[in-house]
Amino acid sequence: MINIYSQLMSAANKSLFGLTLGPQNESDGPFIMGNGDFFIEIPVAFGCSFSDLTLTGAMGTGLPNAAELIDKGTEVGVESRLCNAIKVATYYLEAGLLKTPDMIITTNSCCDAMDTLGNLLNGYKPWAHIPRFNMHAPHSYDDASYEYMGKQLRQAVKFMEDVTGRKMDMDRLREVCIESNKQCQLLLEFQELKKAKPCPAEPDLAREGAEFKNWSKDRISPQVTEWLEILVKETEKQVKEKKGIEGVDEKIRFLWQDLAGSWASGTVLARLQKELGAVCVMDYVSFGTWTPVDLSSEEAMFTSFGKRFLLEDPMNRQALHTTDLFCNDILQIVKDFSCDAVILPAHIAHRDTNSRIKVVRDMCHEKGIPCLVLGIDIWDKRYMTPDVAFDRMKTFFEISGLL
Amino acid sequence: MDLIKNSEVFRKLSGIAGTINNSGIENLKKEGGKVAGYTCSFVPEELLIAAGFMPFRIRGTGSKSADLANDYFQAANICSMVRHCFNHILTGEYDFLDAAIIGGGCDANRHILDNWEKSDAKIPFLHRIFFPHATGDLMVEYFRNQLADMKAGIEKHFGIEVTDEKIWNAIKLCNEARDLQKELYSLRKADNPPITGAETVDVIVAGNSMPKEEYIADLKTLLNELKNTKVEDKNYKARLMIIGPCHDDTSMCDIIEGLGGITVTDLTCFGAKIIYGRVKDSGADPLQAIAEYQVQDRPFCPKNLGAHPIISKTVFENIKDYKVDGIIGQNMLCCDTWGGELYILNKELKEAGIPMLRIEREYIPDSLGQIQTRVQAFLETITGGTQ
Ligand code: SF4
Ligand code: SF4
Repeated sequence: MINIYSQLMSAANKSLFGLTLGPQNESDGPFIMGNGDFFIEIPVAFGCSFSDLTLTGAMGTGLPNAAELIDKGTEVGVESRLCNAIKVATYYLEAGLLKTPDMIITTNSCCDAMDTLGNLLNGYKPWAHIPRFNMHAPHSYDDASYEYMGKQLRQAVKFMEDVTGRKMDMDRLREVCIESNKQCQLLLEFQELKKAKPCPAEPDLAREGAEFKNWSKDRISPQVTEWLEILVKETEKQVKEKKGIEGVDEKIRFLWQDLAGSWASGTVLARLQKELGAVCVMDYVSFGTWTPVDLSSEEAMFTSFGKRFLLEDPMNRQALHTTDLFCNDILQIVKDFSCDAVILPAHIAHRDTNSRIKVVRDMCHEKGIPCLVLGIDIWDKRYMTPDVAFDRMKTFFEISGLL
Repeated sequence: MDLIKNSEVFRKLSGIAGTINNSGIENLKKEGGKVAGYTCSFVPEELLIAAGFMPFRIRGTGSKSADLANDYFQAANICSMVRHCFNHILTGEYDFLDAAIIGGGCDANRHILDNWEKSDAKIPFLHRIFFPHATGDLMVEYFRNQLADMKAGIEKHFGIEVTDEKIWNAIKLCNEARDLQKELYSLRKADNPPITGAETVDVIVAGNSMPKEEYIADLKTLLNELKNTKVEDKNYKARLMIIGPCHDDTSMCDIIEGLGGITVTDLTCFGAKIIYGRVKDSGADPLQAIAEYQVQDRPFCPKNLGAHPIISKTVFENIKDYKVDGIIGQNMLCCDTWGGELYILNKELKEAGIPMLRIEREYIPDSLGQIQTRVQAFLETITGGTQ
């Protein structure tokens, strides 16, 4: 069983690294560089490759020379407490290490740091001649906002058409959405299976699936669907057999309400699982609320793109909106996934989470849910080392009577 | 002229800028008037005035500690401007407010509303408003809708009607204040300006802290005094421009001016940015006029993905118009967007041979000595150590 899971992980990982750090092939079509999220079904249907520079920076922090890259990013001198993923991305940009794109598409989602990177991309002189399109991801989530976002995505398509002289094939876009809908459904099924006690699968698999779907070179392809189908099938088996994660004696279930970044999974979370039986059953990038893209008309399709972009994909849902939404999600996850505790890693550069600590703490206190605010740098383990983070979490579980 | 000694009207404005509550507000409240606080310069004062409020730009002036706010906002990772403002909210400094409109400028700022709602600091009416992070027709329409929501929210809560006529009148009033403020800035183009940078900060900050009509009258008096003042030759070491986000206190100008330089202009969220241009004051739809002004016409905040070209253009125009010798680019620690903008600007200015000193600081400066040393070295670089 574990072999199938690790095979899945390595397949997804290979595809992920292949896109962001490897060379772009001519066959990949026109190359769009973005500072963050884009509604990925669009470039896929258009036959474009899309590179998210934030992701490239984040992946840099997982490389063996991460510390050196982060320090180089800091030396660039943008802002000393800027997210280290963005600092590394800035270093790549300013050092001229990135392939020149054919188009630039920027957005403010999901955070100020990504907004900053968007402006750095827009202000990068050697690329001043490259056509660009800026999008506004509003901090509001209602029908009008989805429509607004959908209209912008439509304009983005028009922009891509103007730059390349090609036309978007709307039937192809529908096909891609059908595949993407299938994948979202499979992610939801996997999410549902993870509610089982004991938790049947490693915490990283859901994130890996979402990343494979959206951010890899195989994004939205049938390979991703197949990958997710295997994941769901294997997990169903595990649940039927009431099997937990291999080698783990599950005692504590917790929510990790942030990214695990480039180091926490393999260090703190793995040790907690193995040594204490404390399993991260849900996290910030695994929790999605996807609904199928409405394919009934072109207009409906774009509006539901807007909704998925703003509210249903995990990162934007958690970072762009109100503390109420953030807190309600925590409560829902705690209930549905039978969590014993909430960890707020509070990545130091997450201005949004760092502005919510008291409200989340108070809410958890009121509901009797043990809550720990860690304050780590998810990209730089020198800030709070994995050992210190582990000790703090262990002590927290002990004090809360969970150990 | 030493304004604090010689001008009564300046003393009044400076006093208002140096505190939160002031006698003007107290009198207004006694007469049944209402005050609305707001964060971020894109929250339109015009709409608040039209709704019968005196607008007050929320600031952390006089704060000695952000201890209470630090429970809500992690101190090391959140801008201290936001934390000091929120601390004031928690300690009751803003209890005189009848309403507050929180602008979703940056990630930290927009959470003032969420935290305010959950705190014990009660306020009759709280409303959030979001500003687009990009520019275009769709964004103008989005912001216009935000303004319509704000108007509807106020009307419903306070049982009033904010007519187009009232908004047009408020637009005219705010334009008049802006025009006078621009006139004040123009005086600083002189070799020996009749007003220093520090004094200007006070005059501009007071403008968002008192009834607009009263401010306009005071500003006219002050301008009159300044125009009739004979200014002696000061032989300043350098003429500087300050660029960055919130700059509502005089500490940076005090340092510059204490070392023999002078601040002649700025591009900051409490300064030149809010006096830029004019809102169209007639037409079919006043909300559309405000939306166009805020989204399209003004030198945008760097949270806007299209802001840099207009910021850059404005900075270079100012350098020429105000004969600027050097730039101080200052941002609060953890201010991501301004940090990025100042980095891009710095590169451009370097290419153009204009010196720029970058400073990351706290809202209530805790290392003035260090900043002073850096400014001194900067002034020496500009003058070539000759003065
Ligand atoms: S601050 Fe968070 S969301 Fe923003 S780039 Fe860094 S890790 Fe990503
Ligand atoms: S200084 Fe920057 S981080 Fe602070 S409130 Fe202003 S824009 Fe936000």
